[in-house]
Amino acid sequence: MAIEIVMPRLGWTMEEGTLVEWIKKDGDTVQPGEIMFVIESDKALNEVESFEAGIFRIPPNSDVLGKTLPVGTVLAYVAQPGEALPFEQAPSAVLAAPAQTSAAASSPVPVQQIPVIQTSAAQSSNGSSLPNISPRARRVAHELGIEWAVLKGSGRTGRIVERDVRAAAVSAPQTAAAQVSPVAKRAAEELGVDIHQLAAQMPGQRITREHVERAALPTAPAATTQPTAAETRTPMPRVRQVIAERMSASAQTTAPVTLTTEVDATELVKVRQGLKAAGKADRRPVPSYNDLLAKLVAEVLRDHPQLNARIEGDEIVTSGSVNVGFAVDVERGLLVPVVRDVAAKSIRQIAAEGAALVDRARSNTLRSDDLSGGTFTITNLGMYDIDAFTPIINLPQCAILGMGRIVPKQVVVDAEAERLAIRHMMFLSLTFDHRLVDGAPAARFLKQVKQFIEQPYLWLVN
Amino acid sequence: MSNTPQLSKEQYLALYRQMLEIRRTEEQLAKSHQAGLIPGACHTYVGEEAIATGICAHLTHRDAVFSTHRGHGHALAKGVPPREVIAELFGRATGCSRGRGGSMHLFAPEVGMMGTSGIVGPCILQATGAGYTSKLLNNGTVGVAFFGDGASNNGAFHEGLNLAAIWDLPVIFVCENNMYATEVAFSYATRNTEVADRAKTYGMNAIAVDGNDVLAVYQAAEEAVNRARAGNGPTLIEGKTYRTRAHSEGMRDAGYRTPEEVEAWKKRDPIDNYRAKLLAQGAASENDFAAIDAETKALIDEALEFAKNSPYPDPATVTEYIYSQ
Amino acid sequence: MREITYTVAAREALTEEMARQPSIFVVGEGIGVRGGNFNTTLGLYDQYGPMRLRDTPIVERGFVGMCAGAAMTGSRPVVDFMFFDFILDSMGELINQIAKMQYMSSGRLKMPIVLRGCIGIGGASATHHSGNYYPMFVHLPGIRVVVPSNPYDAKGLFKTALRGDDPVLFLEHKSLLNNKGHVPEEEYFIPFGQAAIVREGTQATVVAIGSMVRKTIEACDALAGEGASIEIIDPRTLAPLDIDTILQSVHKTGRLLIVDETFAPCGVGAEIAAQVMARGFDDLDAPVQRLNGTHTPTPYSPPLEAAVVPNTNQIIQSIRDLLAE
Repeated sequence: MAIEIVMPRLGWTMEEGTLVEWIKKDGDTVQPGEIMFVIESDKALNEVESFEAGIFRIPPNSDVLGKTLPVGTVLAYVAQPGEALPFEQAPSAVLAAPAQTSAAASSPVPVQQIPVIQTSAAQSSNGSSLPNISPRARRVAHELGIEWAVLKGSGRTGRIVERDVRAAAVSAPQTAAAQVSPVAKRAAEELGVDIHQLAAQMPGQRITREHVERAALPTAPAATTQPTAAETRTPMPRVRQVIAERMSASAQTTAPVTLTTEVDATELVKVRQGLKAAGKADRRPVPSYNDLLAKLVAEVLRDHPQLNARIEGDEIVTSGSVNVGFAVDVERGLLVPVVRDVAAKSIRQIAAEGAALVDRARSNTLRSDDLSGGTFTITNLGMYDIDAFTPIINLPQCAILGMGRIVPKQVVVDAEAERLAIRHMMFLSLTFDHRLVDGAPAARFLKQVKQFIEQPYLWLVN
Repeated sequence: MSNTPQLSKEQYLALYRQMLEIRRTEEQLAKSHQAGLIPGACHTYVGEEAIATGICAHLTHRDAVFSTHRGHGHALAKGVPPREVIAELFGRATGCSRGRGGSMHLFAPEVGMMGTSGIVGPCILQATGAGYTSKLLNNGTVGVAFFGDGASNNGAFHEGLNLAAIWDLPVIFVCENNMYATEVAFSYATRNTEVADRAKTYGMNAIAVDGNDVLAVYQAAEEAVNRARAGNGPTLIEGKTYRTRAHSEGMRDAGYRTPEEVEAWKKRDPIDNYRAKLLAQGAASENDFAAIDAETKALIDEALEFAKNSPYPDPATVTEYIYSQ
Repeated sequence: MREITYTVAAREALTEEMARQPSIFVVGEGIGVRGGNFNTTLGLYDQYGPMRLRDTPIVERGFVGMCAGAAMTGSRPVVDFMFFDFILDSMGELINQIAKMQYMSSGRLKMPIVLRGCIGIGGASATHHSGNYYPMFVHLPGIRVVVPSNPYDAKGLFKTALRGDDPVLFLEHKSLLNNKGHVPEEEYFIPFGQAAIVREGTQATVVAIGSMVRKTIEACDALAGEGASIEIIDPRTLAPLDIDTILQSVHKTGRLLIVDETFAPCGVGAEIAAQVMARGFDDLDAPVQRLNGTHTPTPYSPPLEAAVVPNTNQIIQSIRDLLAE
């Protein structure tokens, strides 16, 4: 199926945008990285690049130019040659051509009387003939999980009909119907993969570059599992897509290094228990470990501002305030709402704002401002019994601090005296961007965080 | 028809009452139509009351009457209460056709009113069919068709009268010759304006009467009904009459006839003249008439209120009764 | 089981019902003494006499209108047109009176009338005696339209028609009258709105109407030799139409062809195609196809006459094309 090009979310705050200029025209070829169109959002103009290679298609009745539309609105498509586009599925004729009878002149069939709406070969603007599919075959294809757009139709007009779909569902040598993307073809040439053999192993499917790369691996047979009728398919929700893009960008852009250290959090625990006890009569939220850490981290960042910075072009921008993002897990994905200027706020304030943000995140009522402007992120997997992990940096930030579970352990409190005690121990996992900050400064930051946790009174005087 | 029938006082007054009921109902419908209470057409019978009254006086509820677009008088004379006629024209669920018919589709089979019709002609054929049923089932009923001079040139007239004649069916064909079919003068539509003459063509009996003389009509009807019930076949009755209002309420009544002509016929009003005649002969008193006048007024007033307060039919019932199922 | 002709089967139904219901009578040209041009009433006149077997003059409007009136007043007429083309002279009586009477009277009047006659092309009857106009009748609310294709269906459906209180058009294709078929001795009824699955199949559905059923069976026999498995459906009644059986069949086969002698524009095939498209869209593997008679008045000369009627070869080719779609 052709890939939908939608109004992109060009920032966490963006909810809608306006397409102000088409750069690619309908029918142009497009390569990854090429600009497709210009979007205006929040008074800024954004040139939007394509991630895909193919043919750029704009629907014939497109009226999106100049209109303010929500993020996610379909604007255009990138299609492969031979791919069906949703707006070019022509309806099959109802008053169809009567049977072409063999009786020569004496046809009782009133061909000339009825205007015949022939089933298309739809007129597409680039002249290519697109396959049609009968409603029944489309239904069966959906039931069996068959990618019908790559099939060859056996109907009289080239229409894909039920028998074609059923044949594709059976692993029979109808694999001539397998479609190979141009990218996959190139990859096969580069990597020396026999594309036809690969196609034979994947009847009725679309072979992508990934399939080819996998096939090129020495141990892998066509390891691609044959899709069975037991698979389920759901469209990817927008939030998921955005998360996917962000995670991918982070992984590909930053030079992440994770430092871990085990911290004696006994004092911190005492602080929290104390606040909890004192807060029993209070309706205000009790500060959570996240709130406490946020405040603590803001204090430490005073002394280590390079971890409160970001790269912009060839500049390093250090933020004047510490805006802490709290990673919140909600049903539809990971959200990171931000409490701004933590250093200037009391823990109570941070706790109140944090609680409100979590509520809004869970009820899907976060405002655009809630998600923007973070300079540092805190993430906590302690409630899932995780000790240490490798959090992913929340671009464009420099670092992210992961907290593990707080667990009572027997530790050495005085090596000299060989004294043991039960202490509440916690792992911290700091991932930092090595492009911006080197290991030693990052380690020093982390060590100070550890210090502040182990000796909370140090915050008071910082 | 020179002998005046000898009736009882009750019978005389019954004829008066019936004509007056028709007159007052029609007047009220004309007013209601002008007031916008009648969404469809309304063809009033004012001036022709003697014919419906005189004919229906001899009919029972089991006899079948088939009528035309100008059929309120027939419906009332056959026994449909004024409230049901008015409610029907008002389009209410309490109308005799449950709001489905309006003026030109008045049905009350329970009293033998087998429908007024928007098409000229079929009633003649259907009355013939009623006659056929009567003879087939031997139940002593008669079929009656009311139609105008306009229908007498219609193929249905020819075919229906012929069939009734060749099969000796108990049918009475009543032509209300008011000289105009809408705006087309009968004298234009035919060379021979004596409708009764046509019966000879079919070998059928005919009676021509003054349609504004209820006793003359009464007498003609008696002869025809007796003949029919005796199994001696159909009769064509032509009543010469006149409608003093327009063809249809709201239509112009000018151009095709003169005001003088209308006035002249108003002087021959069947109700006024009948009343005067009975008074002159001492067959009834002013008090008798006054009482009937008052009762009729009350009846029509109540009918109007009833109709105004009646509900409209429920649109959810609109597909009922297409088939008998 | 015995084999009798279509004509005899229908006559048996009539004979049985006339014995059972004294109010049934037959009306038409030549149906009395002669026993009907197509032997529809052979022997009945001797049994019942002229009141129940009534020969008519050539007055279709007259006797159709008359029978409407008869049906309204308690009898049960059968109008025997001989050639059903002749009903065209009485279309007003059929459409404005017969079809609408139950509705207009809110069900207080029934219309138990059967109108029967021969339809269709054959015997070089030329255009005034080859009419097949049922799409027009199917279009109207208030009428039932029955098109039996074989003796068994003819008798069972005629019985149902004669027992019901709805107007029924009982249409007998003239090319079927002498066909023989198995008919039980015992009494049986076939309800309206129940299609017959003449043959089961898996690859395509053919709905064949009336005279086309037999030709379709022949076509499918020929195609069976090629391995084609075709389901044949005979709707038997067009109003009411058993669309559910057709939909179930299309659900199974995915392909539909309607074969009908009548014209394509606004025909029964168009109606079936529209309903199947609306309700069975996702079952369709190919566009719905129709094979109809040529849209022309029926010519006289035998080669011309043959050219305007779908024949078995054309049905075969149409099915082949449908399978290839």
